[in-house]
Amino acid sequence: MKHTFVIAGRELRSYFVSPVAYAVLTLFTVIGGFFFLASILSFEAELANAQQWQAFDYLESMNLNDGVIAPFFQIMWIVLLVLVPGLTMSLFSAEKTNGTEELLLTSPLTIWELVLGKLLAALAMITLLTLLLAAFCGLLFVFADPTPEPRKALAGLLAVWLLGANYAAIGCFASSVTRNQLIAFFLAIVLIFFLWLIAVVTQIGAFQQAVGAESLFARILGWISTADHFDALMKGVVDTRDLAYFVGITTIFVLLTKASVESVRWR
Amino acid sequence: MIEAQNIVKRYGDTVAVDGVSFSVAAGEVVGFLGPNGAGKTTTMRILTGYLPASDGTALIDGHDIFREAIAARRAIGYLPELPPLYPEMDVQGYLTFVAKLKDVPRAKRKSAVERAMERCGLADVRRRVIGALSKGYRQRVGIAQAIVHEPKVLILDEPTVGLDPIQIREIRSLLVALASEQEGRHTIVLSTHILAEVEAICRRVILINNGKKVLDAPLAELTANGARLEDAFTRATLRDEAEPEPPSEPPVAPSGASAPSGASAPSGEAQPEPAS
Repeated sequence: MKHTFVIAGRELRSYFVSPVAYAVLTLFTVIGGFFFLASILSFEAELANAQQWQAFDYLESMNLNDGVIAPFFQIMWIVLLVLVPGLTMSLFSAEKTNGTEELLLTSPLTIWELVLGKLLAALAMITLLTLLLAAFCGLLFVFADPTPEPRKALAGLLAVWLLGANYAAIGCFASSVTRNQLIAFFLAIVLIFFLWLIAVVTQIGAFQQAVGAESLFARILGWISTADHFDALMKGVVDTRDLAYFVGITTIFVLLTKASVESVRWR
Repeated sequence: MIEAQNIVKRYGDTVAVDGVSFSVAAGEVVGFLGPNGAGKTTTMRILTGYLPASDGTALIDGHDIFREAIAARRAIGYLPELPPLYPEMDVQGYLTFVAKLKDVPRAKRKSAVERAMERCGLADVRRRVIGALSKGYRQRVGIAQAIVHEPKVLILDEPTVGLDPIQIREIRSLLVALASEQEGRHTIVLSTHILAEVEAICRRVILINNGKKVLDAPLAELTANGARLEDAFTRATLRDEAEPEPPSEPPVAPSGASAPSGASAPSGEAQPEPAS
């Protein structure tokens, strides 16, 4: 396992000596700041509206968790969807173009150590991004009154981190199948979109007629889709089934990555 | 130290390496010769465990390269055809990374990196970013990378390619020193097609052509009585060309088979690069 940290350390250092880390962090902060402000402004407008119409029941139900943090995180999900493939696209494909794959595969380390090291580096970056989001939310705790519900906010951050981990594993796999970074990037995005939108199929009338909206197949498709699990965590419900989903998908793609890296040996 | 046993490598119907066996004793410096596409790189990749053999195996320092891969790889320093470098890292950082990968103990790591840099003449550029180095320096970083963990076996694929004559001389004397008693008797296998290089460093020559070993003899024997290595090389490659094509080879155009174009480019030879 020692080599895992050697690989992860090198990968992180190379993120920070090249512009990649700075570009990603800057982009994430700027976009995050913009949407954070937008979420607050729209919450404020809604609040004013509700007061004007004297909708007291509705006013009662409004809170910063559902009104600011949740929509903010929903939008940042889309940002992650693009940024994480950008972070992971070079992880394996650059090794092929540099010829360093030959160094790694003739060194005394196992393929597991290699794959997990790469994933660990990506996870460290995702942790950093999640902490940035946490800092934005922290502002609400400092300046807002009443403050949001902290545990619900934490569940939201957990959802973002798990989602990031998920996308990192998908990105690793995409990077391991090609030597072209751009292809790795787009392949990761396609896979992510596929996972996200697969449940939409079950909404189509023809599908419901043919298979049935409540059939096992529809339920499986629904389970594979990311959205429900993300939303559940966002509501503050930390259910083992949703955690199992994220861990499961991540594991599947880590296994696929391992197989793909190994296949160099058997081609 | 190295024990290659009947190594075969097939890509589909093409046979890149066809039953190559040899053994190299500790401290020996062996020149691995052959025309382009003869299977030199493939054989070296198999010896280092990068590619699996279709058949046969090899022992490195007594460890089977497939069954005891980790132990075998620890004993190997390998310079691939393209030096495996990270362009964004500096020289010292890169060599430290390789030392960690190759399990150099923490206490010895710093001195091992220093020593490798000193031996390869890299002390002046230790803080430079590899991507900004000249080709000669990059090649030297590649060699430093192969020797940083003091491996018992060094496998070098065209170590002096792209270097100027002075650098070539430096690298040659480095290799001779590495094989000597006081520098730890490294066993060295190097591939090249510069015959002068073989004459300068190697004590033994293994020649492959069309994936087969066609010659394995001490250099002294080949150059006895003023004979030239070049003649032996040409003789061995051409003799092999003249033999009928082995049935496993893919069909070649008749025009190519009838005109053996010398030692440099055997016509029917198509060694596919193990692509990505």
